[in-house]
Amino acid sequence: MIELQLTLAFISSIVSDVALQAQPLLENKGAAAIAFGLSAIGAGMAERSIGSAAVGAIAEDDDMFVSGLILTVIPETIVIFGLVVVFVVS
Amino acid sequence: MNATVGSANYSYVSARVRSRRAALFDENDYRKLIRMGPGEIARFMEETEYETEMNALGSRYDGVDLIEYALNENLAKHFDDLLRFADGQLNEYIASYLRKFDAWNIKTIIRGVYTDSETQEIQDDLIRAGEFSDAMLDRLVESTSIESVVEQLSKTLYGSALAEAYEVYEETGVLVALENAVDRAFYSDMLGGFPREPSEGTAMYVQLLRAEIDFRNVRNALRLARSGAEIDPSEYFIPDGRLFDADQLRQLTQNPDQLTEYLRDSTYGRDLSEALDELESADGLIDFERALEKALLEYADTMTNRFPLSICPVIAYIRAKEREVDNIRAIARGKQAGLSTDEIEEELVIV
Repeated sequence: MIELQLTLAFISSIVSDVALQAQPLLENKGAAAIAFGLSAIGAGMAERSIGSAAVGAIAEDDDMFVSGLILTVIPETIVIFGLVVVFVVS
Repeated sequence: MNATVGSANYSYVSARVRSRRAALFDENDYRKLIRMGPGEIARFMEETEYETEMNALGSRYDGVDLIEYALNENLAKHFDDLLRFADGQLNEYIASYLRKFDAWNIKTIIRGVYTDSETQEIQDDLIRAGEFSDAMLDRLVESTSIESVVEQLSKTLYGSALAEAYEVYEETGVLVALENAVDRAFYSDMLGGFPREPSEGTAMYVQLLRAEIDFRNVRNALRLARSGAEIDPSEYFIPDGRLFDADQLRQLTQNPDQLTEYLRDSTYGRDLSEALDELESADGLIDFERALEKALLEYADTMTNRFPLSICPVIAYIRAKEREVDNIRAIARGKQAGLSTDEIEEELVIV
């Protein structure tokens, strides 16, 4: 959680800087990169517990491998949304 | 993974535990088991979960003994597994819950020593899933008097309670005091160790424990009420439950109808309604106790569905597994004793 708060504080400081200066601190591409990075962090957090639960289920029953794998990578869609932002902006 | 507090791996453990919970015998399996003889039950078990134990012990024992040893071994193995899986706080919770087998073992040993049973016989009934080491249990089993059992336990958390109860035992010669002392020491140690304003995980665990205490109190109260014996109910009372305190219990045991009414209005009213209906219609306590047990299992299952990432699935699994072992043992022993299918069915608690 503390990481998230720090990131928010960082972004809000950038934004207020941007408001003060005529020249934007962050160009479009830079903003897109941050959006992408944050979405990747989000996916990682989501996959953390899904992954460990999936490994637990697979350890009990090998047949769970396919469904475990699918469920584990579902949060990857969040990263794809982040990637979409990159294309939209550039 | 390190074992610092807060790094409990709830998701991993609950996935494994729920998978094992689902693999337990269901109604169909029991229906098959009930129609089998002891030999067939052993063969059936070889094809299930108990395969390893049945094969390992098969050369040394046979018949119902083999089934019983395999069951105990399997139980201990699964509960050791739980401790191996779990990290951090979850591990502590599970370890403290499994101490209930220590309490069970102490009671078994005391009873065994009291009745002068064979060492081997007592040993067979122990469940080695608790915290006490094998060496310690063996030493306890070998002791010849209850006094030496109490003495050997003096350094454990049961020490002071047992020492006190021993004096009562010396006066009266009844085991009740000692057994209650063990139960009380166990529950109060478990609940006493938690902070006043617990975290979410701890609060859940405490809630489950208090439900267990409540159910135990209800059972004791009803037994007393039905038997009509002139025993002070507070002697059996385990404090820290959510449902009632010692005075309330004393009043309610004098009037069984009031007790059922009280239970119907309590927090467990909905979970217990089936059991209570059964109590009102049936004459025997056995049906009610079975229904009570079932309600407790179902309560843990409900909590599991409500809080999937918590201690609840683990407790639900431990209870269900225990129940399964009891069920299979009841079937095997019942068959050996020549009970009819219906009679055995009455002994089972199937959820």
